[in-house]
Amino acid sequence: MNCELAHERIVTAAYQELPDEQAHELERHMSGCPDCQSEREQMRALKVLADAHPVLEPAANLVARSRLRLEEALDALPPMRWYERLSQRMINNFASLQAAPIAACLLLVAGAGAGCLGGYQYAQNRAAHRAAVLTARNVAQPTLNAQQSPAEPAEIANISSIVRQPNSQMVEVHYNQVVPQQIEGSLDDPAIRQLLMLASENSASAGVRDDSVGLLAAECRAGHSCQAAGIRDALMVALRYDKNAGVREKALQGLEPYVAEDVRVRDAVLEALMNDSDPRIRTAAINILEPVEGDTSVRQVLHTVANSDQSPQIRTVSREVLRREPEIQ
Amino acid sequence: MAATATDETNRGGAGRDLTRSAQERLQARAPEMELIREAQGGSRAAFDTLVRQYEHQVLRLALHLTGSEHDAEDIYQEAFLKAYRYIGNFRFECSFYTWIYRIVTNLCLDQLRRKKTRREDRAVMVDRSGDEIDLFASVSDDRSFSNPAKELDRKQLGEKIQTALEKLTPRERMVFELKHYQGLRLRTIGEMLSTTEETAKNTLFRATKKLRTQLAGLR
Repeated sequence: MNCELAHERIVTAAYQELPDEQAHELERHMSGCPDCQSEREQMRALKVLADAHPVLEPAANLVARSRLRLEEALDALPPMRWYERLSQRMINNFASLQAAPIAACLLLVAGAGAGCLGGYQYAQNRAAHRAAVLTARNVAQPTLNAQQSPAEPAEIANISSIVRQPNSQMVEVHYNQVVPQQIEGSLDDPAIRQLLMLASENSASAGVRDDSVGLLAAECRAGHSCQAAGIRDALMVALRYDKNAGVREKALQGLEPYVAEDVRVRDAVLEALMNDSDPRIRTAAINILEPVEGDTSVRQVLHTVANSDQSPQIRTVSREVLRREPEIQ
Repeated sequence: MAATATDETNRGGAGRDLTRSAQERLQARAPEMELIREAQGGSRAAFDTLVRQYEHQVLRLALHLTGSEHDAEDIYQEAFLKAYRYIGNFRFECSFYTWIYRIVTNLCLDQLRRKKTRREDRAVMVDRSGDEIDLFASVSDDRSFSNPAKELDRKQLGEKIQTALEKLTPRERMVFELKHYQGLRLRTIGEMLSTTEETAKNTLFRATKKLRTQLAGLR
């Protein structure tokens, strides 16, 4: 340590501002430097001399006077207007953010993140809504675009074929789609009749088959145009194969006008007489066979039924018919 | 009166031990922080409480620096009006004590510069009415009897000290005032004067050197 540095440290040490390690170093220097020892003595003397100009406590009058004057000045200040208070608050908040850059950055990141998330959610909701609208339109329109996804399983009629492309994970599925339709018209309308005949054969609902067969049978019994082969065929199919006894009964009633003139109808009735599981159907079949003439098959069936039918009542009725109608051969 | 070298260096270490822990300081400052927040919110009562906490220190400093009650009163008025106007800008980055002292020291420096320019050197302290204040009236005398001759010597010495102080630059005067008479730490003085501790230390060294030169004949 040189004397110039020592002189500076003597001043610092005089006011208890010298760190311990520097104080130790200073002591070692001064132990061998009379000049610096003299310097320290002079510093101490200065401190004593300076204390000859003491610091006075302010008089009570001075304090009171100053306080009063300040209060008057503060009272005279105009109150801050609302926009001044608002601007001051905004400046304070901005200054607080300035003093907290990390908090400001985090706030910015959080705000940006919330904005992105909100935008993403909104876009997702819009896309879902558009997809729902598109699906509703697809149900109404019969054509299907190549890129559109298939409809719900309930709307698909059947799968016609499945083809897997070689050396690939791609699969081609051909399917038919059901498109709900509606038509309104008279029972004489051929289109209506066509649909009724289709319903009597293909409908999965017994109620629908019952309604369609009932309408067709009523038309035939009423003498409306029933000459078309399709209608009688539909009734005969219903009489032979429908699982519902009510549907078969209605079909039988519809065929009654044609038993005498149409051998196919007569054969269907005879089959029902021999094979139908429901005794009501067999009894009804006997009743509509009565006026038949010159048909040996009728007599043969009646004989068979009179001897072997499970129902005693039907056997009795068959015998009665044979006894009362000797014309039936 | 002379102290040993060991005592002096030991006192340096003991002085540093007086600082409280950061947590204790924070706890002590908590009520003041509440007061400051209320004052920032517009509470006049909270600001008045803050004024009462610091008014004696402000007046003491201003009075000793300016030597005039009138000037001290003006500095008091201006300092607290500024504090009231700009308390919203206080960010709790330093203590309120440091903040208010910064305002006061700047006002005092302006006052000292104005005085130096106008060459209004005053060797004695005067009250509001212009009458000289007897600095030694409140200084106790250990002797059982008064010594007028000694009192006169001390009075003249005091005047000479004051004259020597007025020959310092405003900044040197301020640093010496805050260090020797107000007992503040060099780091705090640096904060108040918006400078570093090292600069404050160098300024103190220059001030003491000048004073020793001025007062050499008085030893």
